[in-house]
Amino acid sequence: MRKKKGYRKAKTDNVIVCRCEEITEAEIRAVIRAGYHSLEEIKRILRTGMGHCGGRGCLKVIARLIEEETEIPVSSQKFPTSRPPLKPLPLGLLAGYKNEQGNR
Amino acid sequence: MSRGTADAVVIGGGIIGAATGYYLARQGLKVVLLERAFPCAGSTGRCIGGIRAQFTHDLTIRVMLESIKMFQELDEELGVDIEWYAGGYLFLAFDEQRKQSFLQAIEIQKRYGLKVEFISKEECCRIVPGLNAEGLLGGAWCPTDGQANPFKVTYGYLEGIKRFRGEVLVCQEVKRINVIGGKVVSVVTADGNEFFTPVVLNAAGPWAEDVGKLAGVDVPVKPDRHEALVTEAVERCLEPMLVDYRPDGCYFVQHYGTGHFIGCYTPVPIVPGHNLDASDEFITEMPRRMVRLLPKLALVKVLRHWAGSYEMTPDGNPICSGTPVEGFYVSAGMSGHGFMFGPALGKLMAELIVQGRSTIDLNEFRLDRPWTKAEAMK
Ligand SMILES: Cc1cc2nc3c(=O)[nH]c(=O)nc-3n(C[C@H](O)[C@H](O)[C@H](O)COP(=O)(O)OP(=O)(O)OC[C@H]3O[C@@H](n4cnc5c(N)ncnc54)[C@H](O)[C@@H]3O)c2cc1C
Repeated sequence: MRKKKGYRKAKTDNVIVCRCEEITEAEIRAVIRAGYHSLEEIKRILRTGMGHCGGRGCLKVIARLIEEETEIPVSSQKFPTSRPPLKPLPLGLLAGYKNEQGNR
Repeated sequence: MSRGTADAVVIGGGIIGAATGYYLARQGLKVVLLERAFPCAGSTGRCIGGIRAQFTHDLTIRVMLESIKMFQELDEELGVDIEWYAGGYLFLAFDEQRKQSFLQAIEIQKRYGLKVEFISKEECCRIVPGLNAEGLLGGAWCPTDGQANPFKVTYGYLEGIKRFRGEVLVCQEVKRINVIGGKVVSVVTADGNEFFTPVVLNAAGPWAEDVGKLAGVDVPVKPDRHEALVTEAVERCLEPMLVDYRPDGCYFVQHYGTGHFIGCYTPVPIVPGHNLDASDEFITEMPRRMVRLLPKLALVKVLRHWAGSYEMTPDGNPICSGTPVEGFYVSAGMSGHGFMFGPALGKLMAELIVQGRSTIDLNEFRLDRPWTKAEAMK
């Protein structure tokens, strides 16, 4: 992350980066420092991106943390596959959809 | 490009490679594990974490009794909470034929001391409050079966390999296995890195056939697609893994640690090949099957839906074996049960490789078997 001159970096260690799973910046940095340098690995260790938002909230921030810690630029990092449904949907609704639509 | 040496090179960073690599390293071997993508990129990261000893093949039952004993103690061994929980497995019988096949299986399982019995419809409903028991004849119930978290277990083993001074290298696809005079000599990756070693283990899961070819060994493992879904976490309301073997049945469990429901089914007909597409069919069909069995789940929301591969052998049992190439071993083709086999088969394969024999004889899982003793409780 490029730092602008004159701005002091805020203390953000305890800031929650992944709100769904309540994972802090410090926890993420610790895993990166332990040698896990990809979004996929961090996801599997900390569950970041596996909650309600499907990673929309946290993945870009984590990518920047990886860039800061390892100098692997965000642009060359691989983002995890987005999984359906885009928005959480109740089982009963999906089941009913099946019944109405027949055997699609 | 670099060159290195190892006492054993393990190909594949799923549960099988991680566990076997760990027990090899614990025996004092210098282990290098090579993973094409990242750990759990294959089937292991896509499985639903069920663990059971309710099988029909004698050797599988014995392996699973050992594995469950190991899961119970794995927190301590690996120094991580693997989220093991003995919530049991309940196999439901909706017709007489299925009931009879469970009764036969229970007879075999009891011979090995498994705590398993056929219970009535009423008892099923007591174990699973809210179960829609319409047409149910009862179920095969084993309270010592359970679940654990595949990521925790696999990463736990990989960290263990490093503690025993081994190496775990990601983004390293094995492209060549050099065999001279019938013996393995070295392994070469896509980046041109070469590792000289007397022992190579093929733990490439659904890709075991391709990796076998690199050493000129035919490994009959074929992938077929299995999809799965996970819901949001809710208050605990289901203890066991529920298995509904009807043609339009499914299996699912509530994760003890987190409260998510996670489940899948085996499609009829099967979808062969390396296929990781998530289908429209599954995302409507699976919820229908889950809600039919447990109507109270109707309001629980689906978070994600994905696909992975079962890695089938001709008889649905694993291949854990030496090969005609000296130093080249295979532990693959777990046929949809590799996560639960991981600890025991990891330890036993390490014994086979280092001592030449294992404390539970794996001969019936050898590569040149006749493939006639099929597993009935897939
Ligand atoms: C939907 C679903 C549900 C399941 N549920 C359960 C369950 O409840 N309980 C259970 O026990 N099992 C379950 N399974 C089965 C289980 O996931 C597999 O049997 C198990 O994960 C196989 O582990 P593995 O280590 O052999 O293979 P994998 O986990 O696939 O690992 C193989 C690894 O090898 C790597 N690789 C391949 N080729 C190369 C190469 N040339 N060089 C380097 N690396 C390479 C791959 O990237 C991969 O990471 C389920 C599977 C699916 C799909």
